Amino acid sequence: MTMKSEYSPTDKASRWPILFLLISGAVWLVLAGIFGLIASVQLHSPDFMAVCPIFTYGRTVAIAETAFVYGWLANAGLALALWVLMRLSGEPLRAQNWALGGTAFWNLSILGAVIGLSLGDLSGFELLQLPSYLQLILFFSYAAIAIPGLLAWSGRLRRVSFASHWYAAAALFLFPWLLSIAHVMLFSAPVRGVLQPIVAGWYAQSVWTLVLAPLALSIAYFVVPKVTGKVLPSYEFASLGFWCLIFVGGLTGGRHLVGGPVPAWISSLAVVSCALLFFHTFVVLLNLRGAFTAPGVAVKFIAFGIAAYVLGAVFDTVTSFHSVAVQTQFTYFDEAQKQLALYGAATSILFGGAYFAVPRITGKAWLSPLLVRSHLVLSLLGIMLLVVSLASAGAAQSHDLLDASVPFATITAHTRDSLLGVTAAQFLLLLGNICFLANFYGTACEILNISQPATFSPSSAMETPAS
Amino acid sequence: MSEQPNDPRLDQAKASDGSVLDAHETALSRQHAADGARYRLLPIGILFTLSGLILFAGTYLNRYAGHYSARIFNENAKPSTGAVVAVKADPIALGKTQFNAVCITCHQANGQGIAGIYPPLAGSEWVNGPSARVIRIVLYGLKGTVNVEGHAYGAAAMPVFGQVAGSAYNWNDEKIAAVLTYVRQEWGNKAGPITADEVAAVHKAVGDRKEESETELLDLK
Repeated sequence: MTMKSEYSPTDKASRWPILFLLISGAVWLVLAGIFGLIASVQLHSPDFMAVCPIFTYGRTVAIAETAFVYGWLANAGLALALWVLMRLSGEPLRAQNWALGGTAFWNLSILGAVIGLSLGDLSGFELLQLPSYLQLILFFSYAAIAIPGLLAWSGRLRRVSFASHWYAAAALFLFPWLLSIAHVMLFSAPVRGVLQPIVAGWYAQSVWTLVLAPLALSIAYFVVPKVTGKVLPSYEFASLGFWCLIFVGGLTGGRHLVGGPVPAWISSLAVVSCALLFFHTFVVLLNLRGAFTAPGVAVKFIAFGIAAYVLGAVFDTVTSFHSVAVQTQFTYFDEAQKQLALYGAATSILFGGAYFAVPRITGKAWLSPLLVRSHLVLSLLGIMLLVVSLASAGAAQSHDLLDASVPFATITAHTRDSLLGVTAAQFLLLLGNICFLANFYGTACEILNISQPATFSPSSAMETPAS
Repeated sequence: MSEQPNDPRLDQAKASDGSVLDAHETALSRQHAADGARYRLLPIGILFTLSGLILFAGTYLNRYAGHYSARIFNENAKPSTGAVVAVKADPIALGKTQFNAVCITCHQANGQGIAGIYPPLAGSEWVNGPSARVIRIVLYGLKGTVNVEGHAYGAAAMPVFGQVAGSAYNWNDEKIAAVLTYVRQEWGNKAGPITADEVAAVHKAVGDRKEESETELLDLK
């Protein structure tokens, strides 16, 4: 096969669906940041904007979560997964109109969801706060966006398949499955009683383990060997790690139900699955450890993301045990774990992927080095501050909540300092994300400026490992 | 415009897409050929890790999964032997509940009854007497005059409590046994407990009948 340069007519021909997805993601990211900031202020100053029903805490936090997961993570994850599949197929993306149409409807329904949520139409299920009437549109638009990705996968020029293929294809197939089951079992023909939290917990956990994490990993598995120029170490175990995730990833949902009114085997199975999933995490760490020493902004983000992914897996496993869950459940510690996964792991890897991919999509280098550096620094600081503050608030809460003599107002007062830290972190992250959006928008506009193409250094054949 | 190697605006790639695919495919197929018969430490370590996790998973599930029963909510529940274990209620506690719900209205909380109308239970020779009599009093009720501790009571009838025709309460044999056991050890009474089996035996032997009278009862020993 002829060696394609880093930016070829293939990339040029596939750019619009990917850019559309990515820029919508970046816009939602900033919106999610604004609502996240408002929600975090309301945690320590409850009367902030409380006069306006649209901005009451329950709604701002639901809007922030929905815009973040379905607006940012899904859009950007799909954009970069489509890009990776396109690059690995060696052909321009096919069925682009499906992706463009799907993206339009996907984002319109997220917009509808934000409006619906602000009017109080919340479902009450974690990570599935979307009003039920929009879920069918989400289902079909995700499927439409997935079509070009699956065509790029099935129609690839060479039969060779790579780890990025597996993770991306899994995410493309699994989200419609998860959403349709959750929709039927929670909304159109709701199951009763204790089955509801079981289904909701399964969905919330699976969206992370089976969709968002695989999307991020498909990008990391592509960018890391590209940048290091070396074969991934212990690559022969990558497929074992992948199947481990697919088999046990969905079983970890009962982690949130430990000690709850559900049959004991559900939470015990989740404890065991978290531990088994650690094997997957271990393989990912072994495979992608080259990211920790490689140069460049993209790989720095990805290395940070992998570290957060591993740390998150350790915390998930440890806190799933009954004796630890007693301390951490229903505290801000849960939220810290969620942010460590969604922000620390998934978002960091997506940022890294975006910094690597955008010059190869647009043919232009990023517009401003200052904005790139600011975004890197603000994001890493913000994420660390966010997770540490939430965890310390959780620690204060769990200590007090287990002591029946401490009044609730005192517990709230004890978490105040940590929650101020959360607000500071949300502010840093919002600033960073505005830098990202502005820089990305400017870079995308540079497409029209034909005079300054990015100069890619010629990439060579990959070094084979010395054995 | 030229980018430096470490320009934050552009991350350079060291390998082309095609070579990423090729090199990893080669890495997979070369694995056996290159290693020969030697064992490499890392793969063995990884496999041991996986085996260790699977061993842990199996052990943990065996101990804490409550035999995958939909009815076991406590993960620390002892593994069931398969036999259904019916929890026996404490007869004193059950009897007290029954007494406080119904009997207390007439016989009073102190078991003294009301002079001339409701006979006392505390220290009564009937309560402390043969179990056959008290079982019948509660099971079938009592009509007519009855002498307790030298006083005659006849103004009110003892209602029918057992699961027999005309019963107002339909208490099962276990509840009757429990309330009798409670009454026979309360307020200084010292008579022994009465089991549900004893009540059931009387119930079965006698079947349905009208209320007892004092003379009939005194014939029983």
